[in-house]
Amino acid sequence: MRVSASQKILLYMLLGIVLLLFIGPIVWFMLLAFRHPSETYTIPPTLFFNPTLQSFATTFVDPGNNAPQLVNSLIVSTGTTLLSLPFSLAAAYGLSRFRLRGKQFIMMWYISLLMAPPIVFIIPYFILMTQIGWAGTYQAMIVLLQTITIPFSVWLLKSFIDDVPVELEEAARVDGATRFVMFLRVTLPLAMPGIIVTSMFAFVFSWNNVIFPLTLSKQATATLPVGTISFFASTGVYWNQIAATAVVAMLPPMLIFLLLGRYVVRGLTFGAVKG
Amino acid sequence: MRKSLPYLLIAPSIIALLSLIIYPMGFALVNSFKFWNLQTSPVPLYDTGFDNYRMVFQVTPFTEALQNTLLLATLATLSQFLLGLGIALLLNTHLRGMTVARAILIMPTTIAPVVVGFLFRYLFAPNAGLVSWLLGAVGVAVPPQGLLGSPDTALLSVGIADTWQWTPFFAIVLYAGLLSIPEDIIDAARVDGASRLNLLWHIILPFLRPVAAFLIMIRFMQLFNSFDLVYVLTGGGPGTSSRTLSYNLYQEGLVNYNIGLTAAMTWLIVIIVTIIINIFIFTVFRRQEW
Repeated sequence: MRVSASQKILLYMLLGIVLLLFIGPIVWFMLLAFRHPSETYTIPPTLFFNPTLQSFATTFVDPGNNAPQLVNSLIVSTGTTLLSLPFSLAAAYGLSRFRLRGKQFIMMWYISLLMAPPIVFIIPYFILMTQIGWAGTYQAMIVLLQTITIPFSVWLLKSFIDDVPVELEEAARVDGATRFVMFLRVTLPLAMPGIIVTSMFAFVFSWNNVIFPLTLSKQATATLPVGTISFFASTGVYWNQIAATAVVAMLPPMLIFLLLGRYVVRGLTFGAVKG
Repeated sequence: MRKSLPYLLIAPSIIALLSLIIYPMGFALVNSFKFWNLQTSPVPLYDTGFDNYRMVFQVTPFTEALQNTLLLATLATLSQFLLGLGIALLLNTHLRGMTVARAILIMPTTIAPVVVGFLFRYLFAPNAGLVSWLLGAVGVAVPPQGLLGSPDTALLSVGIADTWQWTPFFAIVLYAGLLSIPEDIIDAARVDGASRLNLLWHIILPFLRPVAAFLIMIRFMQLFNSFDLVYVLTGGGPGTSSRTLSYNLYQEGLVNYNIGLTAAMTWLIVIIVTIIINIFIFTVFRRQEW
């Protein structure tokens, strides 16, 4: 589109406002983690101050109550991602490569699970997990998070396997390979970028989930986002420590999205829009 | 064997998911007809017929929560779509720097909703919160209890926080949609003398329709189920002014431990959500092949 110099200035001003509105609050909140508690709120608000790492030291080093939560978050998110992969990879391959009766219905069923309110399952799960002695364990969270990661991964993986040309598989089949060998030697390597992208998204969704850890973890297994909530104590709100913990909780998803680059659109739309 | 292979491949995921869904559904159905409060008894006490379903409307602000939820989901989805479309068109001017802008613009969407909640609690804090202070400085009257503490603005504030988080999502996906419009169609229309507005209305928007419908469906449902943000920002308050269906269920179940009542509420919400999802799926996917 041709734009004149004055239009260009206007467009850049608009872009500046957009970035200020959407990135500014993040920067402002990150700064809070480096502020001294007495400077949490000042009138007028100040952009420049003497930064301190005290809040990070308190939350992650001494006494470091949030350090184990970082480990817990890693365990739960990695476990969830690894558990959902075999289920969703098999289903995605089946849905991508075969003519199936009711394929559309099955795809819609998966996506309707993604649109269901997880909260309605919480109380039955809570009671079930208590009865089988899983309340407060990692596996309780990992298993329940599958209700989100499996349907999501099936959709996204299917879109990636759809992109692998069937002709390549057929060529291998002519050479006498069984379907399983064909899958391992041809489809799997070609779909690998898609599998990695899908795993990264599944990891982020598990990482950012709060409802399952909030209701099904105990102090020793609580994840980082739940850790931020714990500062909301009745004795007062420790804003700087909330921010320090939140900054650490925010960084992995942010880095993963930067790494994902052009796959972000595809992942966020479950493969429906190929960015 | 050959015929059953695809079904064998899909079966594990479906069995795993069904077993995770049928149990809570069945549990809720059975207990929705029983009186059971966890504070007084570890097991259901006695049958109450349809009492729980009636009590949902009498004891809890279910109707108000439904109204709040519909209002929040509708208005926030609409704002996110319109703002996102505007930003997508801005990115689509392809000026230098737009690629970098696109990459960092998505950041709000990557943050856990709970953290977004804290972020906005900090911004919306009465008096010294950045937003409250800025509004005060330009002469906009902020309620003395703050935006989150006033029943008139609490739900609105939740909507603003969600809109902040998800507008970039609409923007970058709609921008991807804009990129997929064939250049020659746009050129042809321009040669024919179409104005920018005409171009937008008759060519660009129809092209974006399937993508937009998909995004609106996903976001509307996520907003309809929103819990995390409400939990941190307002706790459904003040009073019940920002209570959503999900928060109402949480309050009855995990604060008051009223299991029977919550079970009835579960089924009411499941029915409402199923109706809405089906309306969406039949309008969004009617002509699409997957």
